[in-house]
Amino acid sequence: MEAVSNKVYHDTVVIRLIQFSVIWALLAMLGGVWLAAELIWPGLDFGQYWLSFGRLRPLHTNGVIFGFGVSALMATAFYSVQRTSHVPLFLPRLAWFCCYAWQLVVLLGGLSLLAGYNTSKEYAELEWPFDIAIAIVWVCFGVVFFGTIAMRRIRPIYISNWFYGALIIVIAMLHIVNSLALPVGLIQSYSLFAGAQDAMVQWWYGHNAVGFLLTGGFLGMLYYFLPKHAGRPIWSYRLSVLAFWAFVYSYIWAGPHHLHYNSVPEWVQSLGMVMSVVLLAPSWATMVNGIMTVSTAWEKLRTDPALKFIVLSLAFYGLATFEGPMMSIRSVNVVSHFTDWTIGHVHSGALGWNAMITYGTFYFMAPRLVGRELYSSRLANLHFWLALAGTMLYIVAMWAAGVSQGLLWLSVDDIGELSFDFKDIMASMVPYYILRLVAGLIFLAGTFLMAYNLYMTVRGRPALRAVPPAVAPAFGVSR
Amino acid sequence: MTTFIFLGDMFVMAFMAGIAAWILYPGNSKTLDEVARIPLEDEEDHG
Repeated sequence: MEAVSNKVYHDTVVIRLIQFSVIWALLAMLGGVWLAAELIWPGLDFGQYWLSFGRLRPLHTNGVIFGFGVSALMATAFYSVQRTSHVPLFLPRLAWFCCYAWQLVVLLGGLSLLAGYNTSKEYAELEWPFDIAIAIVWVCFGVVFFGTIAMRRIRPIYISNWFYGALIIVIAMLHIVNSLALPVGLIQSYSLFAGAQDAMVQWWYGHNAVGFLLTGGFLGMLYYFLPKHAGRPIWSYRLSVLAFWAFVYSYIWAGPHHLHYNSVPEWVQSLGMVMSVVLLAPSWATMVNGIMTVSTAWEKLRTDPALKFIVLSLAFYGLATFEGPMMSIRSVNVVSHFTDWTIGHVHSGALGWNAMITYGTFYFMAPRLVGRELYSSRLANLHFWLALAGTMLYIVAMWAAGVSQGLLWLSVDDIGELSFDFKDIMASMVPYYILRLVAGLIFLAGTFLMAYNLYMTVRGRPALRAVPPAVAPAFGVSR
Repeated sequence: MTTFIFLGDMFVMAFMAGIAAWILYPGNSKTLDEVARIPLEDEEDHG
């Protein structure tokens, strides 16, 4: 643990969080590949409950979102908030607590999922003791982050910090409300909500966990690391502020589109659908802003693998944020819901947007954190092409599978009976599932390359002692 | 409930309009341009 200093940025904790994030990426993606194989060869569970699809699937999603994703968000938030505030982290020992306590929660929570303890709420599967632990660590994360902002030496709060701040505040609100439960045992509880209310609260949480964690948090990453890496300020700072407020305003309403044709009021479904379509505006505003920022730095894309990842992630962000609103329209949703189209949509966001921007950010940060060149740009470039190929193959396979499923399930004959048997439809999906497995293996292979590359880059090197610059007069705050 | 949602929505819309007016006010141009440069000048040696 580094000595506490009033002048030097606290970067050792950032390096440790990146290491944990990469480990979780490998483990959770390996779990995803295993699940893809189980859908082709169900016998791969070997008759063991803990290897069954129902237990491995939440382990995969929790590992990717909370292990890989949140560790990366903590790392990048700690890295950028100190620099954009021109002060070291507030309470650095609390930042270390967040780092290790979070890994412990994800590890023990993952083991509880394998043991079969599950609340049955998607993306909120962990039982009440873990929910309390998550809330405590999250509040500590907020104390470090907002404490650093409160101590800042420059007056403006840069736009990336608004997105990280929204992530911390809104996820705390969603997690605490959705996890309200009556414990009936050490690791068993019943939700305080019931029936349709439970479904509405769950998808208010579920969709906004996607919105404020997998979108808002990663937009914070984008708004700091894209201009930083391109060496140019964001194309339109005005547009970024407008996009932030429009994003916060519209996202929070969109959850009910997960409950189309369900037992919630029709006006609630319509509201969710309309606000989801409205979301297209702030989402594409950010995409355009990002693309325009690099539009004068295209030459860097030829040689810089980190920037390639970040720019490609923008393209997938645009794709996923177009597809999502379209899928929320009820007449489209009637085909897409419950099919593999949804899985393809989720992975175009998770692989194409979240993973790629994280990879680009890690390739950017790791060499700078230790003051050494990236171990191998060739390996990073190879990783880029593997990640692109894996993502494209995955989503194309799932689109084809999902659209086929949706249309076949809706087919009726002349007397109104279903034309195709559910079992036969699922059996016909095997070729697509094989493609998905191959895609997952390709993507995972690229992630292993990155893990090796980053390990060789930071191996045996302490964090560089980076310090804040002299305060620019225009932004100075007298303290 | 409908009235409550409508009033809340109008309040948020007014807030959004205020944000848009503030952000588009020409007098803020220089400040916003300087704020946009924060990530480019945030380390002493290699920022």
